[in-house]
Amino acid sequence: MLCGATMASMQKRLQKELLALQRDPPPGMKVDEKSIQASLTQWIVDMEGASGTLYEGERFQLLFKFSSRYPFDSPEVVFIGDNIPVHPHVYSNGHICLSILTEDWSPALSVQSVCLSIVSMLSSCKDKKRPPDNALYVRTCDKNPKKTKWWYHDDNC
Amino acid sequence: LCSLLPQAFSASQWSAGDGGDTDGTFECNICLDTAKDAVISLCGHLFCWPCLHQWLETRPNRQVCPVCKAGISRDKVIPLYGRGSFGFGDGGFQMSFGIGAFPFGFIATAFNMNEGRDAPAAAGTQQQTDEQFLSRLFFYVALFLMLWLFIA
Repeated sequence: MLCGATMASMQKRLQKELLALQRDPPPGMKVDEKSIQASLTQWIVDMEGASGTLYEGERFQLLFKFSSRYPFDSPEVVFIGDNIPVHPHVYSNGHICLSILTEDWSPALSVQSVCLSIVSMLSSCKDKKRPPDNALYVRTCDKNPKKTKWWYHDDNC
Repeated sequence: LCSLLPQAFSASQWSAGDGGDTDGTFECNICLDTAKDAVISLCGHLFCWPCLHQWLETRPNRQVCPVCKAGISRDKVIPLYGRGSFGFGDGGFQMSFGIGAFPFGFIATAFNMNEGRDAPAAAGTQQQTDEQFLSRLFFYVALFLMLWLFIA
């Protein structure tokens, strides 16, 4: 019964977010409506690198997975597809080292604010390179980036 | 689950119901719906009390406002009562208050008849006998009501 109630409130909120994103999407961002099933638990968002940055003209895809405890529980967010951005906080398997996706998550954040944070993370990059521990991490990590014990530090890359 | 399916993709249906066109001023920052049992944090952010409570339960060691990360605690949020809402749960609280208040009301009248009033009338006068009669009458009425309450 309780599970049913949380499921319903999670879907209600996701429906509101979906509607807002469809009506008024931030520049360069588009929800792939075909990717969304009935339960709304999985979305793909297409995004473009911001103009005037190292990622200008590139296109990326983000996969969002929501648990029934969303928005109290953060979504699982990874880059998918054939263009994973080369960035010091993005591993070649698509995992993203961004604190709002785990310990700094807040239920007041949304798909839109996560997308904007990721665009801004890419935009502030001055040197396109993979994280230093990329090879080891990609070989040993869990499929779910939320299971990784991330180490958050500076943000001046 | 399946019943939600058709709504998921039709934007028009959505805005029609549910007040989808509001500007968000009175929407809970967590469920994005109109705040129910609304509370406001000291930093000024609006939530449904059930939503905020669930968030505080989720992170017991880090009680911060979901919007601005200012410190927050469950005893420092301010409930908002609009016109017609009496308190948490609206109707429920009013009901229990009504039932709970009634016996206190008449015990007070039965036992504090003389408090804060004029001095009793002089003995032997017509007024005094009237008053005694009235006070006895009220006492028995009260006794009857009390017994009735206990039996019922």
